[in-house]
Amino acid sequence: MRAQVINMFLGIWLMSSPAILGLEGTPASNAHIVGPVVASFALISWWEATRVVRLYNLPLGAWLVLAPWVLGYTASAAIANDMVIGILIMGLSLVKGKIDNTYGGGWRAVWHTNTPHANAARLQQDYTDKNREE
Amino acid sequence: MQEDTGIPPGWNYNPASWGQRMPIIILAIVGFLIAAYLALFQFKVISDVWEPFFGNDSRKILTSKTSQILPIPDAALGALGYIADAATGAIGGTKRWRTMPWIVIAFGLAVGPLGFISVLLVILQPVLYDAWCTLCLATAAISVVMIGPAMDEMLASLQYMKRVKDAGESKWKAFWGYKSIQGKVM
Repeated sequence: MRAQVINMFLGIWLMSSPAILGLEGTPASNAHIVGPVVASFALISWWEATRVVRLYNLPLGAWLVLAPWVLGYTASAAIANDMVIGILIMGLSLVKGKIDNTYGGGWRAVWHTNTPHANAARLQQDYTDKNREE
Repeated sequence: MQEDTGIPPGWNYNPASWGQRMPIIILAIVGFLIAAYLALFQFKVISDVWEPFFGNDSRKILTSKTSQILPIPDAALGALGYIADAATGAIGGTKRWRTMPWIVIAFGLAVGPLGFISVLLVILQPVLYDAWCTLCLATAAISVVMIGPAMDEMLASLQYMKRVKDAGESKWKAFWGYKSIQGKVM
């Protein structure tokens, strides 16, 4: 979770960086758009059941690394800001962190068969049936 | 047989317990109060809006074209959204992930779009109006905070629906929590 806390603050930094670094035009808009999205994805992935959402920040981090060249930034502060923050976001979004609770197999278990929740339910059912017979 | 604690099979806690749901309900009520306050300004019931950091910006945002894009001002819609979140968070007992999946899934679906629209509005503030509105940012943060903790309960309901399907029982009856299906699927 710590990595996603940092990523949230990196997103908030992006939101505020145009004002702090004095960026204008396209780099400012890019930071104003990407920042809140990164912060939101990071915040949602604080919780274990939605930890997977951290990966949505991978393409956003990659975009930040590419944006100065795709959008043709000229201010070196803007180029450095987007590239450094982008690399940090990508690295941190790969950190899964500890998962303490069990979730019956998670989201993929909603579609797949032979999942932890289905098996646990079967055991519970068998146990109940046996008790009823006795 | 162990006591029926309402813990879903394969889980180690119950996502529908009050300890899990109460913080979200409280957040939704706080979000409602802030949004309602902003809506009162937009309805011109109050003539001023509290803005500690950004001077005249809140006024600029709350009277912008975007905020009037729909027949009722956006903060009023937000207030309705928070009420929907609080209501769908509060309705039902601690086993509602299997006794009434419809409300849990409605809850998950109510929380999602509210968060999405809030983030969109946060983006539009600086991009279109070069302004920030403190209380709008606060409500947006609240709506995003609610998403994570709401989703575990939805996951438990969706897994339950999958077990219903695999057991060959009626998904329709399970979704609406018909009495006839209660207890048939763990």
